[in-house]
Amino acid sequence: MKKKLIEALNEKAKAIERLADGEQPSAEPLAQRRMPQGCTTIFDTGWETNPRPTYPVGNCQASARDFHGCVGDCWWPAQMPDGLTNHREFDVQCPNVARDWRNLKYD
Amino acid sequence: MTRLHSLLPALAALLCIAASPPVAAGDRYYHMGYGMIQVIDGDTDTIVADIPIKGATRDTDVTSDRRFMYVATNRHLVHKVDLAQNRVVSTADVKADGWDRVMFGFVLAQDGATGYGAFMSRRADKGEVFIGKPVVAQFELDTGRILRSVEVPWGIAHLVSVRDAKGIYAFGQDLYKIDTTGADLKVVETVPMFDKGINMLPFWDYAFDNGGIASMNYYTATAMGVMLVDQRTGAIDDIVLKGDPAMAYSVVLAPDRRKAYAVMDDLTEIDLAKKTYLRSVPIAEGTCYGVNVSSDGRKVYVGGGGSTLTVYDAQTLKPIKVLQMASDGMDVRRLRF
Repeated sequence: MKKKLIEALNEKAKAIERLADGEQPSAEPLAQRRMPQGCTTIFDTGWETNPRPTYPVGNCQASARDFHGCVGDCWWPAQMPDGLTNHREFDVQCPNVARDWRNLKYD
Repeated sequence: MTRLHSLLPALAALLCIAASPPVAAGDRYYHMGYGMIQVIDGDTDTIVADIPIKGATRDTDVTSDRRFMYVATNRHLVHKVDLAQNRVVSTADVKADGWDRVMFGFVLAQDGATGYGAFMSRRADKGEVFIGKPVVAQFELDTGRILRSVEVPWGIAHLVSVRDAKGIYAFGQDLYKIDTTGADLKVVETVPMFDKGINMLPFWDYAFDNGGIASMNYYTATAMGVMLVDQRTGAIDDIVLKGDPAMAYSVVLAPDRRKAYAVMDDLTEIDLAKKTYLRSVPIAEGTCYGVNVSSDGRKVYVGGGGSTLTVYDAQTLKPIKVLQMASDGMDVRRLRF
């Protein structure tokens, strides 16, 4: 028999386990798919990184010009507010990043 | 009197039409921004109208009579824009039935009352989270109500309508061809792309700007390609360019369709017949997502990304004018009136 890695010790933890009895998976990890990782749907982020040895480098420049594209479609979730779930009104706060960046208020 | 009453709605409609002045002849460019679409006159290259709109603009389609533009924003709103009055006249939300949907890809159906979208969905009920299957669905443009749908693989990012929307091409890891003519939507063919090493970001296709040819660039490990979809026939022309790939978000066809222009950090001219790059110039204002070309082929417009729109002389590839726009943007679209 496979040993459980985590064992419920107190009543609250046991109650949580009971809640999950018979539960079926409701989500599946995208990591098991062949998809490129990140929030992008089909776009393998990183392809545009520095194809040239000199200026202009291959990243978007200035990076502010790519901010809305990254927010709105969540291509670079680590660096940008998440425009699909938590910060859907981001465009109202900051429609012009170069001009309005001081208005940014997100965690 | 009763007869006059019955004629009143028709009279009112006629007056409304008469009150909407026709769009002056010429090229109009639409800077698809954030909370704002701005209209640029192609003769003077000046901003002639602001169209306030809720959200961040994304997919755009135009009715066949060119009276209305439908603009998807924030991945769930669809706005109807009157192109004569330059204003939003109605808005639908595709998540009106309790499902939280995001839409990557939107095209109009032929009936004028519905459109197709590629949806991912989720919903929470009593603390439980439910994830819907990814679908391409037909929905009502005035209400956002889903009428019918077909399950598709994850990762659809863009739709192109072909043969008067009798077919929908859904671009994801692969290309899925959907037949809309039956009672149910049906995926009838899968054209492999992923296994061929094709990596595509098909958010820009310029189908109506190109006169019915959707143009999207893609990359393999060694080259850039341009995929053209003829909306009239559904035929696909896959052009692999020789030489080191130019880095580009989008590509638009020149009016003669022998050349194309691609844009990202540079504006790049492409010879489609010879499958080669002709010239490339860095864009001084920085990265642009969108590119368009005047209907006479003399001027090239780049914008989106940041809040500038630069007009280039197509012959010299030198900038003529830089417009400061109200917001950053996603794209620059063109209509000829």
